[in-house]
Parts: sequence; structure tokens; C-alpha cells
Amino acid sequence: MSADARASDRTARAARLASCLERARGGDRSALHEVVRELNPLLWHVARTQGLPGEESADVVQTTWLELLRRLHDIRSPEALTAWLVTTTRRESWRVRERLRHRANDGDHALETLADPDPGADERLLADERHRILRRHFARLPKRCRTLLRIVALIDRPDYAVVAEALEMPRGSIGPTRGRCLAKLREMLLADAAWSAT
Amino acid sequence: MTDPDAPLDEIDLAILDQVRSLHSVLDPPPAGLDERIAFAIALETVDLEVARLQEDLLVGSGARGTERIRTMTFDAESLTIMIAIAELPDGLLRLDGWLAPAAAMRVELRVAADTGPARVAFADESGRFVFHGVGHGLAQLLVRRGSGGSTASIVTPSLML
Repeated sequence: MSADARASDRTARAARLASCLERARGGDRSALHEVVRELNPLLWHVARTQGLPGEESADVVQTTWLELLRRLHDIRSPEALTAWLVTTTRRESWRVRERLRHRANDGDHALETLADPDPGADERLLADERHRILRRHFARLPKRCRTLLRIVALIDRPDYAVVAEALEMPRGSIGPTRGRCLAKLREMLLADAAWSAT
Repeated sequence: MTDPDAPLDEIDLAILDQVRSLHSVLDPPPAGLDERIAFAIALETVDLEVARLQEDLLVGSGARGTERIRTMTFDAESLTIMIAIAELPDGLLRLDGWLAPAAAMRVELRVAADTGPARVAFADESGRFVFHGVGHGLAQLLVRRGSGGSTASIVTPSLML
């Protein structure tokens, strides 16, 4: 995809989200379902990068949308919507994580299922050669970088406020950290002949 | 790269697109999550208090050996909802519930497979209620508060029965 196509793709997505939000605020539930489809992956990955197992992550994402119902009339822009959803997902995740930790202290082993949010999925499962190469280099990044890039990649515009909320990082450090992490990954990829060849 | 705040160039954006695509393959949201959420938020009222799932347990194979009981507990700020779900020999479910603190309230059970309105039960003074003959599938409980005080209904997430 060319840079222009990619940029217009992102712009189109942002415009669609804005229009869906407007209709959803007016009570159109099918528009709200479209908002769910658009933003669910982001919320899912926020919950996962908070260290929650899959089932709990799905619960947290669902709770977040239910909580949104009574707040919807206060939320006017897609940026505000994304920020609110991400913040709520992170808080809900934190709450569930504390509960699991509590149960673990009581002798329950729920916490043992707290997986590294970067799943150790079998590389052979990745049919796409480019994915396999990327995964190899991505795994060599520090955890902070992996988490940051995973979330940043899901946000159409560099919305630092949203990312900072998602990751509990100071707002001012998002830009520089993203720059460093991306530069590191880019350097590894460009040095890999296999990547350049694909 | 010299300036970390410099706008992303084409290669950066291509890499980020690949990172996005990689994680959508490695760790995708569970199948059906969008549908579960669409069902859960298809409510007429938005004056809601959300009851969060606290515990979901399968209790042995039941005293009579044939009945498996699943218990679920949901906590909202003002109310705890407990349910025990038993599968009967006919394949349908009986759902016994308790509200704490105990109160006589109207309880609605929305079942995705039902085409009509939600089923209704009334909790008695001790907070007990029951639904008979419930089919499997996505469901959601809604507890309507009586008059006085807060008007918000208490709603659970959608659950797979």
C-alpha cells in the first residue's frame, strides 16, 4: 500500500467513526455496533497488554461497552470516545487483575494463567513470511516497546493522550519512546535481507 | 532516526501496519466477541448499573450424579446477583437466583435465541427468583429497581448459557 493510500485509509476510518458516533449518540444502535466493531481490537489489546488472560480480557471489554451506554451522551468526539474507552478498559483490567491476584493469595491458582500478553504462539502458525520475520525481531524488543508499538499500531492518528492512558505512561514520554522503539525495530528489519526481499 | 518526534514516514507506517496485522493473527479477540457485545448493549434503557462477573464455577457433577451446577456471581455497587444454573434431563436449564441484599424486584432474562420479549420473574422478599425451561445460548439478566431511590436497572454482561 502506498503512503497516500495508507493515509487516506486512516482518514476514511476516522471519518466513518465520527459519523457512527454521531448516529449512536442519537440512539441508532446499529451505528453503535459499528463503533464496537471498529474499536474492539484496540480495547482487546489494551486488556491483553495489561496482563489479563483471554477470558477475563473479553469480560473487561464487554463491561467497558456496557458502562459506555450511560455515558454516551457526554462524549462528543471520536478522540474523546477512544480515550474514554481505553481508560475504562485499563481501569477494569486493573480491577480484575487485583481480584485474580487476591484469589491467587488465597491458594487459588488463577494467577498462574496470567500469560505474558505477548503470546508464545508457534511461529509455524504464521503463514505469512513477513509476519514470521517481523515476529522474530519484534520479540527482541524490550517489553515496554512491544506493548507501546502494539497499541500505537491500532490508533489511526498519533493520539498521545490515548496511548498514555492505555499504558499508564507520562504523556510527554510517549513520542520519544515510540520514536526509539520504532527506530530500533526498523533498524533490525532493514538489516534483515529476508525482510527487504519480501 | 534523529528526531524521535519527527512525523512517521512511509516505512514507519508500513512497519506499524505490519505490527497491527501480526497481532491480529497472533492474539485475535475471541470469535464472537463483537456479537456478545452487540447482544449485551441492545438494551432499551441506558440508566444502568453494571454488575461485573466475580466468579464462574462448575460445581461437581451434582449430588444426584446427573446434574451439573454452574454458579455465577455478579457484583454491582448496590446489589449482588447470584445464579445457579442446572441442566435438566430434557436439555433445558433451570436458573435459580438470589439477590443480595434481599429485595422483591422484577428480574428479566434476555435470551438471544428467544424472539419475543424478555422472560420475567419476580424475586420474593428473600431475594429469590427462578427461571424454568431456559435454552442454551447468549443470555443477560436485568434487575429492575422498584420505586424510590435510584431508578437505575442492574445489568449483567451477556453470558453463554
